[in-house]
Amino acid sequence: MPVVDVDPDELRRLTGHRDKDDDELKDDLFGLGLEYEGETEDGEFQLEFAPDRLDRLSVEGIARSLRYHYGDDRGVHVPDTNASDWTIHVEDVPEERPYVTGAVVRGVDLDEDALDSLIQLQEKLHATMGRKRAKGAIGIHDLAMLKGETIEDADGVPGKSITYTGVAPDGDTFVPLDDDAERTPGEVLTEHPTGETYADLLAEYDSYPAIYDDIGLFSFPPVINGRRTEVSTDSRDLFVELTGTDQWTIDRMCAIVCYALDARGATIEDVTVDYADEGRELHRPDFEVRTKHVTHDRIETLLGVDLTTDAVVDLAERSGLQATAVDDGYDVEIPPYRVDVLHPVDVVDDLGRAYGFNELVPRYPDVNTIGGRTEDSRLERAVRETLVGLGFEDLLNFNMTSEAENFERMRLSPDDAVGQSPDGSGDTAVGAGDPATITEPYSEDFTILRTWALPSLATVLENNTHHSYPQDLAEVGFAAHADDDANTGVTERRTVAAVLARHDASYEDAKARLQALCDEFHVDLATPPTDHPSFIDGRAATVEIDGESVGVIGELHPEVIVEHDVEVPVAGFEFELDALR
Amino acid sequence: MKLPAQQVAVLEAASADDPRRIEALAAETDHPPETVAGAAFELEDAGLVAVSEETEEEVALTDEGQEYVDDGLPEVRLYRAAVEAGADESPVQMGQVIGASGLAGPQVDIALSNFARKGYGSIDSGELSADPDADPDSDPEAEALATLSAGGSVEDGDVRDQLVSRDLVEVHERTIRSVTLTDAGVTELMAGVEAAETVGELTPELLASGEWEDVEFADYNVEADAADYTPGKTHVLRQAAERVKDVLVGMGFQEMQGPHADSEFWINDCLFMPQDHPARTHWDQFALDVPPMEDIPEDLMDAVEDAHRNGVGPDGDGYHSPWGEEMARGVDLRGHTTSLSMRYLSGHQVGDLEPPQRFFSVEKVYRNDTLDATHLLEFFQIEGWVMAEDLSVRDLMGTFTEFYSQFGITDIQFKPHYNPYTEPSFELFGRHPRTGELIEIGNSGIFRPEVLEPLGVDCDVMAWGLALERLLMLVSGFEDIRDVHGTLCDVEFLRDAEVVY
Repeated sequence: MPVVDVDPDELRRLTGHRDKDDDELKDDLFGLGLEYEGETEDGEFQLEFAPDRLDRLSVEGIARSLRYHYGDDRGVHVPDTNASDWTIHVEDVPEERPYVTGAVVRGVDLDEDALDSLIQLQEKLHATMGRKRAKGAIGIHDLAMLKGETIEDADGVPGKSITYTGVAPDGDTFVPLDDDAERTPGEVLTEHPTGETYADLLAEYDSYPAIYDDIGLFSFPPVINGRRTEVSTDSRDLFVELTGTDQWTIDRMCAIVCYALDARGATIEDVTVDYADEGRELHRPDFEVRTKHVTHDRIETLLGVDLTTDAVVDLAERSGLQATAVDDGYDVEIPPYRVDVLHPVDVVDDLGRAYGFNELVPRYPDVNTIGGRTEDSRLERAVRETLVGLGFEDLLNFNMTSEAENFERMRLSPDDAVGQSPDGSGDTAVGAGDPATITEPYSEDFTILRTWALPSLATVLENNTHHSYPQDLAEVGFAAHADDDANTGVTERRTVAAVLARHDASYEDAKARLQALCDEFHVDLATPPTDHPSFIDGRAATVEIDGESVGVIGELHPEVIVEHDVEVPVAGFEFELDALR
Repeated sequence: MKLPAQQVAVLEAASADDPRRIEALAAETDHPPETVAGAAFELEDAGLVAVSEETEEEVALTDEGQEYVDDGLPEVRLYRAAVEAGADESPVQMGQVIGASGLAGPQVDIALSNFARKGYGSIDSGELSADPDADPDSDPEAEALATLSAGGSVEDGDVRDQLVSRDLVEVHERTIRSVTLTDAGVTELMAGVEAAETVGELTPELLASGEWEDVEFADYNVEADAADYTPGKTHVLRQAAERVKDVLVGMGFQEMQGPHADSEFWINDCLFMPQDHPARTHWDQFALDVPPMEDIPEDLMDAVEDAHRNGVGPDGDGYHSPWGEEMARGVDLRGHTTSLSMRYLSGHQVGDLEPPQRFFSVEKVYRNDTLDATHLLEFFQIEGWVMAEDLSVRDLMGTFTEFYSQFGITDIQFKPHYNPYTEPSFELFGRHPRTGELIEIGNSGIFRPEVLEPLGVDCDVMAWGLALERLLMLVSGFEDIRDVHGTLCDVEFLRDAEVVY
């Protein structure tokens, strides 16, 4: 979840509530869903919040929400915009990143705090909506350092233009931020720290995104700006540009940035985005106010309270929305920085928050249904209880494991078969077969789904050799194999596994318990001899229940026991749970 | 009269005019002292003997005291070294004397302080003088120690107190019990007392023959510790899961089941999670190396894609994110059991469902997390949902209030939250009984229309995912999940865990 650093003094200044102490502020912020996580070295609040309200990624945005919360502001505010004479001309852009938007901002008063806040907002928007700059990236420039190309529009009115286009990796050079050498974009990606960080984004690009003014290349989105147009506390007028893979996304990011600067008294001016190749023009920033219709009934049924029309309008205004009563409900205006409102139900949530969800009294729903468990779940419980009655300690292990634990340390390989006839055919040994593999494992301990559960029990024995014996352990759990014929590509099943570890554990002990278990479920057990790599030859048998081969029983091979650092004999069995049905 | 054999022996060995100690009786009767004491008390209860008690002080050497008996008191050793060095004639450097004495460590301080206290000499400006008239050979403390070591006793109270304060001796009080025959005892003895037969075990033969009527059963020490016995036991998390299932069934919920490995379509896309959502990278979920899932209903796939791209309803907006079938068909280990809810709500698991319905599952989910006391890669999610007309936030809250009150948890807190798939949404918090910390125990909300409409559901569905492990923490107070779940589990911890019911 996003965390923003916010100077409480800035918050007091921007909200106009200079008398709020830190604790009051924290409470008010919590009421908005912004959780105080701690403080930075400079005494700034670190605030964590859910990633829906991206308009709160700056102190200006949080102050705006607080002013609505306090009732200082109401309804929808849209900054006035004048037309500037600037155009972003779009031509021959890399097809992977075709979109651009922007705004001219005049009369900013950037002290260190304001500049820090602007940089933080830019970074946080990159991390969230911008999907680490892949989807949208922001460049902010000192307008005084830009020299526009002189152009004339269709009516002959003169203006200035910059050009968003493509550049060859070894094409024009510029001096990037935090650097003092002229570099080509290709060199930036290999030689500049920021370039190295974002090089992956451009791995598939033949030509790189570039922005030129009359002097030359000054910005290399989404990687880095040029040093020439760097913003400082002396900057008074700014040019904001955003490029990305989706017009809507960068337009919303642009609106959030413009609203933050507007809150500091700047004036926003329109720019023209001229998609010359398509013969299409946009006027940006896009401050369009959208409207959603929500019915009064839906508000009341979702919140579970009765509300008057005036109350709904009031709640909307205190949420920074504007509701107008029409027909069966309201047309609600949504300001352009609210990227999270997709459906009328999102408006109801805002109204609920303004009403105070904690004011709602819980009630048990008046809905009658009949409860019950699945047959599988009842069987699993019955088997587990029977095993416990036989003296086993019920265990719960991970379904993810490693090849080493599942196969090698059990002397087993995925290809092992049993009962091999001279022609090489035979049934797959219990536990053998192809496992379902995790594509990009996070840890070498968890690379596959286990194909059987006995290895998990052997590992538990290994990790508990310092405790007293006997250790009679059982698990009723999950096992799986890769299976191209299954819809999910994985055959999942439930398995019953048990081990007896004690100084005199024998095949007979294991069989006695297995026999008792089968008797409890009124199924017939037979144990014809078999060979299995994990067990001692001559002391292993197939578990045959009602005539079906469903598992294996035997004394664990000494090599397996020693491999697990266990110093007592171990007998055990494993078979498919469904055989007990 | 008939009495148990050991009581007869004690009665016969006791005297009417000479109180005899238990130890003496034990030696004479050849029974252990505790048996004799037990018999004596039984006889006293029967009025046949009197048992008197007196306390006796026992003075014993400590290890340090015994050491000084063997090596001499430190101050005496110091004095002798000083005289050897000529300090009885003129002062000698203290270091020289200590070195010659062989004293080391704390013994040096002990020697110096007692040396001065006993007037063996004086220490001035780092030089040590010995009093030529001192007589360490008749040091009363050394003599007392020697006497005690030889089994004697120390009569001089001051000397003894001094030795106690120096931790060279310990004084214990001991209770001495003596037995005297009463008149009744004498009378019974004269009348004749014989020993009843005692047996150790009740045998089938004794029962069959009826002999049990004539025998005395030897007393057991019924307070003695018994050998450890390890019962079979249901895993504590399974017990908790069973308890949760019981409660939910009681609240009218039907159980769901379904695959652990499932397509991202059912896990994420149906939940209106945009395909470029940060949680859908391999860092957060486990993708499986298996072919893409082919069998996904086409009409449902189209409806879900349309919801992602365009939203639902006349005023709905979609995401401005890329969406492709290829990603939807990829198979992962489920990161939540909401994939089951999607399968059931779509009608593809158990047929179309008409409201009202309640469903739940308590099943494993898989998430790529950093392992710590409260996070594992696999854990149990309590998934649940209620389908009905016009459900409100209050119904959601009321359901949780009721559910948790079944576990004695009555201080659940709701925090408004954001999920891509529910609106409104709430995180649930509860207080840990031991640490007092507020811990997140679940996430909940009312499914968005963008989730329900593609599934063909046209009423409200409220849903939640709660962490079973967190609930168990609140109920039982345990603090580290790694002790119970997985192959690193501590068998002893599981054996000792309190039963959940």
